[in-house]
Amino acid sequence: MPVDPISLQIFKSMFESVAEEMGVALQRTAYSPNIKERKDFSCAVFDPEGNMVAQAADIPVHLGAMPASVRAALQVFPGALNSGDIVILNDPYLGGTHLPDITMVAPVYAEQDGKKELAGFVANRGHHADVGGMTPGSLPLSTELYQEGTIIPPIKLARRGRLNREIIQLICRNSRTPEERKGDLAAQTAAIKVGEQRMREVTERYGLPDTLEHMAALLDYSERVTRRAISKIPDGRYEVVDHMDDDGLSQELVPIAVAITVSGDEMEIDFTGTSPQRPGCINAPVAVTTSSCLYVVRCLLDEQAPANQGCLRPLKITTPLGSLVNPEPQHGVAAGNVETSQRITDVLLGALAQALPDVIPAASQGTMNNMIIGGHDPVRNKPFVYYETIAGGMGARPDKDGISGIHTHMTNTMNTPVEAMEFAFPLRLKRYAVRRGSGGDGKFKGGDGVIREVEFLSPARVTLMSERRKLPPPGYHGGHHGERGENVLMKGGYEEINLAGKELVDVEAGDVISIRTPGAGGWGAPEGEPSN
Amino acid sequence: MPENTASGNPVNRRVVGIDVGGTFTDIAVLEDGNLTVHKLPSTPDNPSKGIIQGVKETGVTSAEFVHGSTVATNALLEGKGARTALITTMGFEDVLEIGRQSRSELYNFEMDRAPALAPWELRFGLPERIDHTGAIVEDLTPEAIQTLIELLEESAPESVAVSFLFSFLNTVHEDMVLSALGKMKNPPYISISSRVLPEFREYERTSTVVVNSYVGQVMSRYLRELEGPLGQGLRIMQSSGGSITARLASEQPVRTILSGPAGGVVGAFYSAMQAGYPDIITLDMGGTSTDVSLCPGEIKETTGGNVGGYPIGVPMIDIHTVGAGGGSIARLDSGGALVVGPESAGADPGPACYGKGDALTVTDANLLLGRLLPDRFLGGRMVLDPGRVEGLMEKLAGQINVQTHQAALGINRVVNANMERAIRSISLERGYDPRLFTLVPFGGAGPMHACELAQELGIPRVLVPPRPGILSALGVAIADIVKDYSRTVMLRGTSLNRSRLDEEFEGMEGLARKEMAGEGLSVEKMVARRFLDVRYVGQSFELTVDYPSGNSRADLAKVIGGNFYKAHLRRFGYADRSEPVEVVNLRLKLELAMEKPLVEAQTPGSADAAAAKIGESEIVFPQGALNSPIYQREQLICGNRISGPALVIQMDATTVLPPGWGGVVDSFGNLLLEPE
Repeated sequence: MPVDPISLQIFKSMFESVAEEMGVALQRTAYSPNIKERKDFSCAVFDPEGNMVAQAADIPVHLGAMPASVRAALQVFPGALNSGDIVILNDPYLGGTHLPDITMVAPVYAEQDGKKELAGFVANRGHHADVGGMTPGSLPLSTELYQEGTIIPPIKLARRGRLNREIIQLICRNSRTPEERKGDLAAQTAAIKVGEQRMREVTERYGLPDTLEHMAALLDYSERVTRRAISKIPDGRYEVVDHMDDDGLSQELVPIAVAITVSGDEMEIDFTGTSPQRPGCINAPVAVTTSSCLYVVRCLLDEQAPANQGCLRPLKITTPLGSLVNPEPQHGVAAGNVETSQRITDVLLGALAQALPDVIPAASQGTMNNMIIGGHDPVRNKPFVYYETIAGGMGARPDKDGISGIHTHMTNTMNTPVEAMEFAFPLRLKRYAVRRGSGGDGKFKGGDGVIREVEFLSPARVTLMSERRKLPPPGYHGGHHGERGENVLMKGGYEEINLAGKELVDVEAGDVISIRTPGAGGWGAPEGEPSN
Repeated sequence: MPENTASGNPVNRRVVGIDVGGTFTDIAVLEDGNLTVHKLPSTPDNPSKGIIQGVKETGVTSAEFVHGSTVATNALLEGKGARTALITTMGFEDVLEIGRQSRSELYNFEMDRAPALAPWELRFGLPERIDHTGAIVEDLTPEAIQTLIELLEESAPESVAVSFLFSFLNTVHEDMVLSALGKMKNPPYISISSRVLPEFREYERTSTVVVNSYVGQVMSRYLRELEGPLGQGLRIMQSSGGSITARLASEQPVRTILSGPAGGVVGAFYSAMQAGYPDIITLDMGGTSTDVSLCPGEIKETTGGNVGGYPIGVPMIDIHTVGAGGGSIARLDSGGALVVGPESAGADPGPACYGKGDALTVTDANLLLGRLLPDRFLGGRMVLDPGRVEGLMEKLAGQINVQTHQAALGINRVVNANMERAIRSISLERGYDPRLFTLVPFGGAGPMHACELAQELGIPRVLVPPRPGILSALGVAIADIVKDYSRTVMLRGTSLNRSRLDEEFEGMEGLARKEMAGEGLSVEKMVARRFLDVRYVGQSFELTVDYPSGNSRADLAKVIGGNFYKAHLRRFGYADRSEPVEVVNLRLKLELAMEKPLVEAQTPGSADAAAAKIGESEIVFPQGALNSPIYQREQLICGNRISGPALVIQMDATTVLPPGWGGVVDSFGNLLLEPE
């Protein structure tokens, strides 16, 4: 069957549904609230060279990072990935992003003329609530990768259909919550099986040659749609510098610089001028940086195009080795994925706002406000780890206000219901409210942040990993900036102690931590003020 | 065969089912097992006008009336509900606005969030707190309630919703507010979460009770208007597929939000059961969207519904909607792929062949392929214009670089692929193999696409009911009376024992029977069914399983576990028997079975369908343009056999038999289609 606009659409829908069905299997069978309730996972389908063809629309920060996992598996096992094999990994310097994100990759083989031929790969990635390391939740204020948890280079979890349970045991023994890990890893292998099965059905229904041809055509398709979107951007060079608050160790601002050069239907993204890699854990592996680029490009497309490798073809991304956006091995990366990725997105959008003022919104909250709580639950008599990210303001749009209390850009995880959280953990929520007035004023207002106050019913250790506590999210075109975020410890529920954006703090029963997330920037000058 | 033994009613009843759609109001009169149908145009500005007119036209004066109403749905979707206030725990006033904090579209800077139905200035937080054991951490004081009353008198909302944290474990604070508000000079419409949905997850619960208050006023007013002419016996269809008295529907209108689509599934399931096919997938293809639903021997419900961006946690038939219908617009996107929908030409301007708009739609493709006859659309009420379509299709074909017919076939394939994906997600993704099911299409366009869709999915059989266009009215007429009750208990380990659960259930059932007796229903004939929502400890999705009855001495946790593992294995493909489970919710259904029409099975006559053949026409299939006989559905009789390619037309639907498919009319007038 030759590729035509009709078959292209049919295959597009089919590969997406393979990824989606994997996602359904993973979410439904997982154990941890993080995967089940918050949907912190992604699933994708790849061609035999490891190019991502389709991804289920889940977590944008996984976008560019999934292909790196497949490439790493191919690199470590060249020509040696057999039917029934599953490769597992989380090494940020070899296919991973940060250690809690554990990825599984499996080849899919199809019968062709009596022979088994490689038809592609399926992969999924889930954020595990704890993989060991310095502090509960494995997002520590570390100074090197080794402190962040168990490092899994690409290894075979299954060989020809036989699962190596000892690997699972090793991972579980290194986690503070082994039972949950066991359940989540089982869910990931179940999802891989669903993906393999569905891909085999596709090749049986349409034959291998047509399947492969349409994989290639879908990459071309996304490339065409991307080129068309880029060609609508005025040619030119657009530069922006913004900063991370700090790396959690020193108080220094950490610059991220980008220069976007648009020329016809191609775009060069150059991060030269960005801070060198930092001793603290905010370094973003190049896969994370790529994810941000792919996210921004995907937002510019006017079609429901699959965010696949084809979108990257018209881009040239330059990330100096040894910089914050492409660190050298063994630097800490825990927060690269969850915090630095948001700032990289901010600078990319900031640069494009110069070229497309009527398309790009003002800066959103620019952080995920990670809070990880670990301790011993005296009532249920077992250790617990609880992880959440907290929404904030969405940047004002060129034609309307931003939304309040919503996750933006690189994450989209759900909150844990107050009642679900209190049924499961020794915690009590005191307040969950929109932080009124925190969004920047403007012709259109930035969305407001959120106030979330947690009371501890027993002693616990809390890691905070947040940004925009020093520099607020900027407004655009005369719009005001949003309010900075604040982290406050209320000792015994009253005495207020300001906490840093990134901090490890031990709390007692009766203490309250109040997280006030950033409001977003406004768009355009407010009435009565001159623009710019 | 239908179950009539449990019927609580004398056989010589007269029941009238009324289904109000956007275009037509259908009235099904069921008397002594006979079904007659009346169809007239709807009166969207005031649906009761059309209903009263239609009932008058049928000549029926006294009967039991059952109504599938879209009044609550439309009030919700069009933002025309009451000015609603929310009363909740202090510090949590914005839960309704923040929701689950995620966004509905990942890559769209322009996305919107459905506005909170109780606006910010009408959300009042009271100082009170109950914990996860039901214990009161902070008392709600009379002073706080007094202040609230003053605020309400000042802001004067039309409706009020009350939802406190953990109120499902301890209703005392919600009860206090309810009683105080009832004493106000002009009490607003009030609903409280511990009565509407006593289940955990505060956002979903609060959203449900706020929707209830938001549509409550409109619905009560509407039902009062209808009860005059139709009488006190009026019942309303709920989204769950059961009906309820109009009075209870006014109290909990949120249970009727999807009552229209529910009627269709009930009617389809009933028709298929009667014909001997209990495992079906329903396909209701309308103008802008298609509803699909899987019924594995029973109608499946969900409590995870979402309508217009608002979560609704009361039981509704598990219907999956996809933006693909007759009016879905086809276009070539900027990357060169053929896209069909979700944008729709709607009813106005409608498909290009309606003579107004220039958007090329699925209906236009069907017309060009000869699957719709231009002069017989809606029984000839509307004449379609193929001339307008040809030019547009030629243009699209030129862009794709194929023949005109190929482009039309392509539109068909793409829209079928969209529907196929919807069916996959309700079957395969939930552990059901579509190859073991019968596809039951209805709605105007369903039977046109059903065979090709079945072929793609390996579904072996298509059953087209005698009147696919009025299945909803039939379903509404035959719906049993059902009231659902639920409560979150969160029990595990040693607290999970039979005496505790029995006690909880008996309490629930006592209250439930009292409520139904208050409605004047014959409570002694009502059957109570008990269910449990169970999950593995630590998981956050529950599966509903039967509550094991009897006094067996077996360890209850083990029995529940056994039922749960079976359900888990089917749904997710694995089950770990060593893992402990917890019981999250108790569910109770109180049901009064209604008489079903006892359609006499006809004896098959001749296989020769020649008498029903009214002509021939050229229909385009992937195999080419084929000369095909046209049959008039009403003239096909039991035993008649037809072979594809063929077209079967009737007033409200057109059935397409592709080459290789054969059909037979069964003893109940259904058209059964199978590959030959």
